[in-house]
Amino acid sequence: MRPEDLVFATVMLPLLGAAFALCANMFPKGKGADTVEFIGAGIGLLLPLIVLANVFPLVTGGNAIEGVIGSWHEGIGITFSFDGLALLINILGYTVGIAAWIYSLGGGPRGPAFTGIFLIQCAALSATIMTNDLFNLFVCLEIMGMTSYVLIPTSRKAGASLASFSYLMVSASAMVFFLLGTYGLYRLTGSLSFQGIEAGLALLGSTQRILSLACLTLLVSAVAIRVAIMPLYGWLPDAHALSPHAVSAVLSGVLIKTPLFALARILHLLPEGTKIGELMSIAGALTAVVAVVIALSQRDAKRLLAYHSISQIGYIVAAWGMALRWGIDTPEGLACMVGAFLHAFYHALFKGLLFLSVGTTVDVTGERNVYLLRSSIASLKGRGERIPITFIAFVTGALAISAIPPLNGYVSKDLITYSLKGTVHYVLLSIASVGTVASFIKLSRIYWRGTKVAAQASLSTETTPYWPRLVAEVLLSLLCIAGGVASHLIIPVVSDLLAPANVIAIANANLFSTDSLVKTAWTVASGTLLFFAATSRPGSVVLRIVRERPRDFHGLFISFALGTAVLAGYLLI
Amino acid sequence: MIERILLLVLFMIGFWAIMAHRNIIKKIFGLNIINASVVILFILEGSRIGNEVPIMYGGIGPTADPIPQALMLTAIVIGVCVTALSLALAVHLYRTSGSFDIDVIKRRIQDEA
Repeated sequence: MRPEDLVFATVMLPLLGAAFALCANMFPKGKGADTVEFIGAGIGLLLPLIVLANVFPLVTGGNAIEGVIGSWHEGIGITFSFDGLALLINILGYTVGIAAWIYSLGGGPRGPAFTGIFLIQCAALSATIMTNDLFNLFVCLEIMGMTSYVLIPTSRKAGASLASFSYLMVSASAMVFFLLGTYGLYRLTGSLSFQGIEAGLALLGSTQRILSLACLTLLVSAVAIRVAIMPLYGWLPDAHALSPHAVSAVLSGVLIKTPLFALARILHLLPEGTKIGELMSIAGALTAVVAVVIALSQRDAKRLLAYHSISQIGYIVAAWGMALRWGIDTPEGLACMVGAFLHAFYHALFKGLLFLSVGTTVDVTGERNVYLLRSSIASLKGRGERIPITFIAFVTGALAISAIPPLNGYVSKDLITYSLKGTVHYVLLSIASVGTVASFIKLSRIYWRGTKVAAQASLSTETTPYWPRLVAEVLLSLLCIAGGVASHLIIPVVSDLLAPANVIAIANANLFSTDSLVKTAWTVASGTLLFFAATSRPGSVVLRIVRERPRDFHGLFISFALGTAVLAGYLLI
Repeated sequence: MIERILLLVLFMIGFWAIMAHRNIIKKIFGLNIINASVVILFILEGSRIGNEVPIMYGGIGPTADPIPQALMLTAIVIGVCVTALSLALAVHLYRTSGSFDIDVIKRRIQDEA
C-alpha cells in the first residue's frame, strides 16, 4: 500500500466506523445492535492508532507524505500533506476521543447516533489537520462545527440548545467570512493549495498586496472564533459547560486546538505570518490572564472549567504565535512550537480528565454550584466507589493544570515559559498560572468536608453502568502522570516530528531545574493567597461583578468585527 | 461593477438580519442570505473569463471557470446542512421556551435553571 493511501485511512476509518455505528439502528435494541455499534467504534477509534504507528517512521525528521486525494492531477485535485504535526494532532485527537467514548458508555449520551456523529467528528479532525487546500479547510471546519452543534444539545439541559444555537450563528457567519477570504485569495493567485497561494502572492503588486492582507485577516479571524481567543470567546463557556461531559472533554480538549494548528500550516508559508503570529500571541497571553480571572469568579463547576479552557488556549496561542513570529526553522521558534503542541496535548489530557471527574461528581451529587456542593467523597462512596477514584482523578487533573511537578502540566507550562523568557508574555502567563492555582483550590472545595451535605441524586437508580466512567478517568490519569514522568523521552520525539528537515531538534531543556521548582513554589504560594483574597468579602464582591457582567449574543458579533478590524489595522501599519 | 455593489447590498441585508432581528428564524434567514451572496460572488468570479458551460464539446471556447462552480456546489450543500440544523435547534428552542424571540428564550431558560 502506498503511504499516501495509508495516511488517508485516518480519515476514512472513522467514517467507515460511523457507517457501521449508524447501521446499528437497523437492529432491534439489545445485544445485536450494541455489537454492531461497538465494532463501529473499534474501527473508527482503534484502527487509526495502528495506522498512525505505521506512519510514524515516514514522517520523522521533517518528512511529509504528500498526495492528491483520489490520485487526481495536482492542478485539479485536493492536495494533502501528512507531516509530523498532523501525526501529533491525530494522536491527541484519538487518545482523548477513545477516553471520552468509553466515558459516554456510562455517562451518556448513549446510542448509535451519538457514536456515529462522534466518529464523524474524529474524521473531520484528521482531515482538517492534513489538508493542504484552503477550500478543503473550509469544508473540514464546517463538518467539525456541525458535529459539535449536534453533540452539544444531546445533554438535554436547559440552555444547551441555546448555547448550540449561538455557537452555530456566530461560527457559521464567521465561516462565510472565511469563504470570502478564500474567494479573495483564489482571485488574486488563481490557486487554492497553500503552496500555490504562497507562490501566487509572491508575484503581486502593492495594491493587490493590501487586498491579500484583507483576505488573510478574514481567514485568521474566522479561525480565531473557533479557537476562542479573546475577544471572540463568548460562545465557548455555555457550549462547553452545558454539553454532556464526554462531549465537553472532546470539545475543549481537541476541537478548539485543531483549527489553530491547521492555520499554522498556511501562515508559516507566508511573510505576513510573522506579524499575525505576533499579534495573536499577545492576544493569547492576554486571554490567559482575563479568562482565568473570569474562571475564578464562576459559580458553576463546569463553567469554571470551560473558562479555564479559554485561559489555557491562551497559553497555547501565545507560544504558537511566537513560534510563527520567530519562524519555526529557528531554534527559539521550534522550542515555542514544541511547547505549544505539548501544552495542547497535555491540556487535552488533564482538561478531559477534569471534565470527566467533575462531571461524575456533579452527576452523583446532583449539584453543580461550587459554593453549595461539599463532602462529595462521601457521595461517591455511596455510589459504590470503595476507593474514591473520581476524587483521585480530579486531584491528578487539578495538580496537572496548576503545573505541579512531576505531572504533565508542569512540563508543558515550564517549556512554554522557558522558551518565552524575557518577553511580555512571560509576565502575563506567570500571572495566569497564579490564578489557575487559586481557582483550582476553589474548585477542590467540592470535595472538602462541610456541613451542607449534598443530596444523593437519582443517578444510583439509572440503568447505565458506572464502571466506564472510572475506566476513562483512570486511563486519562495514567496518561497525565506518564506525560510528566516520561517527559525527557517525549520532548525529543515531538521536536523531531515538528522540526523542518534541516533544523536540528532542540536539546533537552532542563525542566526540573531549581529555578523552575522555586518559581512553582512561588506560584502555589501566591495562588493560595489569591484564593483567600478571593474568598474575603471585598474579593467576593469583585468576583460577583465579574460574574454578572452583561453578556449577549450581539456582543459576539461586535467583538468579531472589532477583532477583525484590529488585525487588519495591525497588518497594514 | 454594479453586480458587485448589489451583492454587497445583499450581504449587508443578511448581516443586518442576523444582528438586528431578535427573532431567531429571521436570524437564520439572514445567515442564508449572506451565504447566498458569497456563493453568487464566486459564480460571478468564475464567469469573468467566459459564460459558456465548461463542457468542451466543440473545442475550447470562452467557458466559465469550472473551479468556483464546483466549490460552490459544496458550499451550497454545507449551507443547507447548517440551515437544517439551525431550524431544528429553533424548533427545539420553541418547544422548550415557547418563543422565537432570543431575549425571551434566554430569560425563560435562566428562570428555569
